Amino acid sequence: MKKLFSEFIKGVIGENPTFVLVLGLCPTLAVSVSVINGIGMGFAATFVLLGSNVIISMIKNFVPERIRIPCYIVVIATFVTITELFMKAYSPALNRALGIYVPLIVVNCIVLGRSEAYASKQTVRDSLFDGLGMGVGFTLALILISAIREFLGSGTIMGERLIKGFEPAFVMGMPSGALLVIGLLLAFFNLLKGRRA
Amino acid sequence: MSLAQFLTIFISAVFIYNVILSRFLGLCSFVAISKETKPALAMSLSVMFVTTMSSIITWLIYRFLLIPFGITYLRTISFILVIATFVQFVEMVIRKVSPSMYRFFGIYLPLITVNCAVLGVAVLNVDMFFVKDKAVAGSFFYSAFQGICVGLGYTLAMLLMSGIRERLELCNVPKCFKDFPLAFIIASIMSLSFLGFGGFPR
Amino acid sequence: MKEKLIVSFSPHLHKKESTSRIMWIVALGLIPAGGAGVFIFGYSALRVILLGVISALLTEAAIQLLAKKKVTLLDGSALITGLLLAYNLPPEVPFWIPIVGSFFSIAIGKQAFGGLGQNIFNPALTGRVFLMASWPKYMTTFTSPLNYDAVTSATPLAFLKEGRALGHISYLDLFLGKRAGCIGEVCILALLLGAAILFIKGYISWHIPLTYIATVGLFTYIFGANGLFSGDWLFHILSGGLCLGAFFMATDYVTSPLTRKGQVIFGVGCGLLTAVIRLWGGYPEGVSYAILMMNAATPLIDRFTKSRVYGRA
Repeated sequence: MKKLFSEFIKGVIGENPTFVLVLGLCPTLAVSVSVINGIGMGFAATFVLLGSNVIISMIKNFVPERIRIPCYIVVIATFVTITELFMKAYSPALNRALGIYVPLIVVNCIVLGRSEAYASKQTVRDSLFDGLGMGVGFTLALILISAIREFLGSGTIMGERLIKGFEPAFVMGMPSGALLVIGLLLAFFNLLKGRRA
Repeated sequence: MSLAQFLTIFISAVFIYNVILSRFLGLCSFVAISKETKPALAMSLSVMFVTTMSSIITWLIYRFLLIPFGITYLRTISFILVIATFVQFVEMVIRKVSPSMYRFFGIYLPLITVNCAVLGVAVLNVDMFFVKDKAVAGSFFYSAFQGICVGLGYTLAMLLMSGIRERLELCNVPKCFKDFPLAFIIASIMSLSFLGFGGFPR
Repeated sequence: MKEKLIVSFSPHLHKKESTSRIMWIVALGLIPAGGAGVFIFGYSALRVILLGVISALLTEAAIQLLAKKKVTLLDGSALITGLLLAYNLPPEVPFWIPIVGSFFSIAIGKQAFGGLGQNIFNPALTGRVFLMASWPKYMTTFTSPLNYDAVTSATPLAFLKEGRALGHISYLDLFLGKRAGCIGEVCILALLLGAAILFIKGYISWHIPLTYIATVGLFTYIFGANGLFSGDWLFHILSGGLCLGAFFMATDYVTSPLTRKGQVIFGVGCGLLTAVIRLWGGYPEGVSYAILMMNAATPLIDRFTKSRVYGRA
C-alpha cells in the first residue's frame, strides 16, 4: 500500500512531469493561459495517461519490441479519441476552448514518455498509480502556471478581474512569458529544496 | 518550381518562423538535450533526418492514399504512425552505431515521435502545398525541402542554446538557477528576441 | 567553500584600470545623450531616466543583499543598465514602466545569470523587449520633439513603415535630434560626443560600431527603395536606435565576441538583421532584436574565432 502511494506521489512532486522530467511542454505553453483551460487539459490528459498506461502494461509482453512505438501510439490515440468524443458530448465549451490541443494529447510527450519508460516495464497496478500520479502532477503544474499567467497576463483568475487599474503584461499570454514563468518557478522550487537540505 | 520559393522556404523555416523559437514546437528535447554541443548536434541531425523523411512519406501518403480515398481527416493519426515507424528505425540505427549516445538520449529518442516539430512540419506541408486537395506545382519538392529546412532551423536553435549553456558552465550561476531554470529563461529571452521577426509577409 | 578560481570570459582586463573605472567613464559618455533627451523632450524624460536608474540600483542592491553577496553598486554597471534602459524608452511612458523594466533587466537579464560578466544578453535590451512584448501600447507612443506639451507623433521609421512621406524632416533634424523617438536615441550628435570619449580612452574599438553601421547603410542602399542601389542609407543610419545601439549596446564587452574577427562578424550580423527587420519585417525598428539575437550567437562566434593555442592543431 505504501509503495502504491509513493508511486502516486512521485508523479506529483519528485518526478513531476513538467518541472522535473521536462515533458509535455508544447501543450503546457499553449494551454496554460487561463486556469480553466489548464484544469480541463489536465483532466483530459490524466484520463488518457491512466488508460494508456494500464492497457500498455497489460499488453507489454505481447508487443514485439521492434514495433512497440507505433503500437503504443495506436493505444494512446484510441484513448484520446474517447476523451475527445466524451468532451464533445458533455462539455462542448471546454472542447472549443482547448481546440486542437485535445487531439494533440496524442503527441503529448508525457503520455508516450510514461508508456515507454514505465508502463512497458512495470506491473499493471504500478502503472495505474504512476499514470494517476503523473496526470495529477501535470494538472497541478498546469494550474500553477496558468494561475500566474492568467493573473499577470489578463488580470483575471478564472475569468474574475481581481485588481482594478492593473495593466496586464501581454507577454504572459505568449509562450515567451510561459517559459519565463516556468523558469522562475523552477528556480523557486530549487530554492525551497536547498533551504530544506 | 521557382528558386524564389525555395529561398523563401529556407529563410522562413530556418529564421523567421523558426520551429523552436517562433513556433514553439519541439521544446522538450530543446531544453533537455541542449546542455552540450555534441549531443545537441546528434539530436538535431536525428530530428532533421526524421523531419525530411517523414515529410516525403507523409506527402506520398496524403497524395496517393488519403486524397483518392477521401479520408483526409485521418491525416493526423496516419502521419503520426508514419513518424513513429521512422523513429523506431532511427532508434535501431543509433543503438547500433553509438550505444553511448543511445543511452545518453534516453527517453528523448523515442520522443522524437511526438516531437511536435515533426508532426508540425508534416501538417504544414499539407496546408501550404495542397490547395483544395490538389497538389500545387512542385509540391513534392517544396515539402521535402521544407522538411530539411525545419530540421536546419531546429539545429540552429539547438546550436545557439548549447553554445550559451556550455559557456555558462564556466560561470558561477546561482545555485537555484543552475541547469533547467536558466535554460528556460534563456529560451524565453531568445524567443522574445525572435519576436523581431514578427509580421514578415508569408 | 569559498569561490574557486573563476575562469570567466570577459571582461579580461590587463590595464591598470579596474572594471568600475571603465564603467564610470562609459556612464560619463552616456550623459550627453541623456542631457540632449531631456532638453528635447522635457521633464518627463528626466523622470524616466531617474526612475530607471534608481530602480536598477535598488534591484541590484536588494538581490545582492538577499543572496548574501557583496553589494557592488559602486562599480557603475547597474547605473549603466538603468541609463540604457531609460534611453530606450519613449519619454511619456507611465512611471512604472522604467521601474519594472530596470527591475527585469537587472534581476533576470543580469543577476539570474550570476551577475557582472556572466550574462549572455545585454541586460538593458532584455528589459526593453520584455516591456515591448508586455505593454506595446505604451512602448510605441512617442511625442513631438521640443514640444513640452507632449503631443503624440510617430517616429521617422514608423512613417517609413507606413509608407508615408517624410518631407518635413531633414538630415540635420535627424542628426540633432529634432524628431520623435526614445529618450537617448534621438540626438546623434550627443551620442557621437559620448562615443568619442570612449574611443579616445580606448574602451571601445571601432570594429563593432563601424561594421554594424556600415552594414545597415550598405544594405539599405542596395535594397531600401523600389529599385536597386537607390536606398536612402543616410536616413537609415541617422534614424531609430542604430547609433545608440551600435556605440553603446552592441559594444558591451560581456555580451559581444572577444576577438576582432568575431567582432566584425557580430557587427555584420547585427547590421543584416536590423536592416532586414526595418525593410521587410512588421516592426519599424529592429536594433534591439538584432543585438539580442547576435548576443545569443556570441558564444558560438567566440568558439569558432578563438585564436589558435600554440601547440594544438
